[in-house]
Amino acid sequence: MLGIALIGFAGFAALCLAMEKHFSDLLGCKPRPQQVRLLRVAGWLLLMLSLVLSVHLRGWGHGLVEWIAVLMAGVTLWVFVLPYQPRLLLGLAAASLVLGPLLAVLAG
Amino acid sequence: MKEGFRQAMAWLHTWTGLIFGWLLFAIFLTGTLSYFKEEINHWSQPEVRRHALDPVNSLGLAQRYLEANAAHAGSWMIRLPNAREAALSVSWRDPEAGRRGFVSKSLDAQTGQPVEARDSRGGEFFYRFHFQLEMPYPFGRWLSTFCAFIMLVGLVTGIITHKKIFKEFFTFRPGKGQRSWLDGHNAIGVLVLPFHLMISYSSLVLFMYMVMPAGILASYSGNTGDYFNELFGRDDPPKAANVATPLVPLPTLYAKVQEQLPGARIGYIQLHNPGDSNAQVTFTQASADNIAYKRSAKWTFDGTNGALLSQGAPESGAMATAFSFAGLHMGNFASPWLRWLYFVFGVAGTAVIGTGLVMWLGKRQLKHAKSEHMPSELRLVEVLNIASMSGLLLAVAGFFWANRLVPVALEGRADWEVNAFFLAWLLSLVHAVLRPGRRAWGEQLALGALAFALLPLVNGLTTGQGLDHSLQVGDWAMAGFDLTALAVGLFLAWAASTMLRAPKPVAKRASRAAKKPTADVVEVG
Amino acid sequence: MKSKAAGLPLSYRLAVASRCLAALLGGYLLASMASVCIALLAPLSRVDATLIGLLLSFIFYLLAFIWCFACRSAWRAWLGVLLPSLLMAMASGIAYWMKTP
Repeated sequence: MLGIALIGFAGFAALCLAMEKHFSDLLGCKPRPQQVRLLRVAGWLLLMLSLVLSVHLRGWGHGLVEWIAVLMAGVTLWVFVLPYQPRLLLGLAAASLVLGPLLAVLAG
Repeated sequence: MKEGFRQAMAWLHTWTGLIFGWLLFAIFLTGTLSYFKEEINHWSQPEVRRHALDPVNSLGLAQRYLEANAAHAGSWMIRLPNAREAALSVSWRDPEAGRRGFVSKSLDAQTGQPVEARDSRGGEFFYRFHFQLEMPYPFGRWLSTFCAFIMLVGLVTGIITHKKIFKEFFTFRPGKGQRSWLDGHNAIGVLVLPFHLMISYSSLVLFMYMVMPAGILASYSGNTGDYFNELFGRDDPPKAANVATPLVPLPTLYAKVQEQLPGARIGYIQLHNPGDSNAQVTFTQASADNIAYKRSAKWTFDGTNGALLSQGAPESGAMATAFSFAGLHMGNFASPWLRWLYFVFGVAGTAVIGTGLVMWLGKRQLKHAKSEHMPSELRLVEVLNIASMSGLLLAVAGFFWANRLVPVALEGRADWEVNAFFLAWLLSLVHAVLRPGRRAWGEQLALGALAFALLPLVNGLTTGQGLDHSLQVGDWAMAGFDLTALAVGLFLAWAASTMLRAPKPVAKRASRAAKKPTADVVEVG
Repeated sequence: MKSKAAGLPLSYRLAVASRCLAALLGGYLLASMASVCIALLAPLSRVDATLIGLLLSFIFYLLAFIWCFACRSAWRAWLGVLLPSLLMAMASGIAYWMKTP
């Protein structure tokens, strides 16, 4: 489930960066429209992927419940740590992008 | 109301939030604690020893005990020990004895002898409090269920009012006074919204039969018993034939259930007319095994010959929906990591309410910042805020301190623990009345920090099962409780320090006032 | 509500009180009538129809609550909860009379 949580975390990070205000705050420059679009698509795809993996791993009942739970946990962590340690979170998000699918594949 | 839909909803949100916030805070906090009620039970009754699970053996022991001590009773109930509950529980119907005609005993799972443990309500106190509010039946349930409805109203009106719900989805700006409080309130509201909505709505589902009886009465012409029989797929148990017949050994029935559903954990076993020719034994699968209650996970056997009489009929879609809501609320199916998430989300819900109450006052206090005295209505809110939040935490700590300090052999000590809870709460109210607001917060939070942080020490000194012992033997429930208490203590110490620090003087310019150090009184149960 | 100034007119306070009563009591009536209506009219088994009626009743209560404070006057609040309640009561009455010969 950790892998799925990490994928979801990365997804939310992408969706956050897809917002101009957060992009410029975190990365220091204004985003180009293609970047925004890419981030938004990537973000949603990652969220959907985490859902599919969760249901595949745990079935519809437990899968759905645990998916929502880890997503809520991940995005809450992101939002409340962001003002204090933005670079740490960006690093975690990047690591999640790699570690998440790896752990998910190892588990399932 | 004439100013527009959003503003009307903001008005509704603000006022229902205030009036019911204090009670909802208590409900949410104690409800959150309830997710670890078994662990709190374990901490509260350290005399109950944990053994390796052996359901077959435990079942035999339970049967032997009941046959020896409750042979005359018309019905028995057995709860097997599981990963979180160490004791083997037996109870039976005895109209002359016990609470409401029921006698309950905790047996040691290995010896089958009654456990000599200190009398304490433990985690069950917080569990029952959160939906009964320690009020006489049924008033507490009505009130708490109505509060749950108001919580739902609060959530929906909050969503309607929060214009920038998507734009500010990821927004949290600390260090900006009232703005930060609002950001925090919105963030934990929105980011954990699925949980908040589920918890609130499912609370209503759990007591819907009681608070909304009209539908049942109308379609069943007043026969509510028929409704429940149809819902749970059960028939009324047969009456005793008054022909003594030995009860079949229960472990054989357990084996039959395992044939039906290999690996099923058994939640409880009900026996009707044990020792009679019309004896019936019903096995129900543990709630930990499924999210929703499964009617089909119920097997009824003839108690005299072990024949399978019936298995619960599968539930309909509507039933599955209702049972799923109930199951999601209770969280019995949750594995340890998910259970911790339940706890964290419960804290988040508590914090949504708490930050709302603080903001309600804070916003209006700013308007009266220049005057000598707060208007009495605001002072009332301030006192109630302090008593219902830091005061409640002191009450919780008081309960646990009483558990360790009240002599084990004292008659009625369980009631004394509860008294300590309410006494501490009352004293905090008195303290809040007597002290200026900020100081009252700081002093209560500081006392709370001390009370929680010292709890592991008190535990170790009085029971010898402190962290040094529990960590060594791998008693994670005991260690987890002590470690959580320490963490709460640390958090409250930080919160207290922000309140006891001299605030920057309130300047005439509003922007300066907004830079006052903010105290994040997010309560951790 | 921008201020708790003592200068709020009595008529305003009465209107708010009226809306509160409409929401609390009228809303409950509406929710109950809705659950009865669904229980008696839904094309499901008796237990399922009753169950759905119970589950959905709180949505009606919620909507009634919101209506009572969103609508333009206290009179409309009462009308908005009592009229549907009456209609649903009538429909339920007919359904009940038809079910029990």
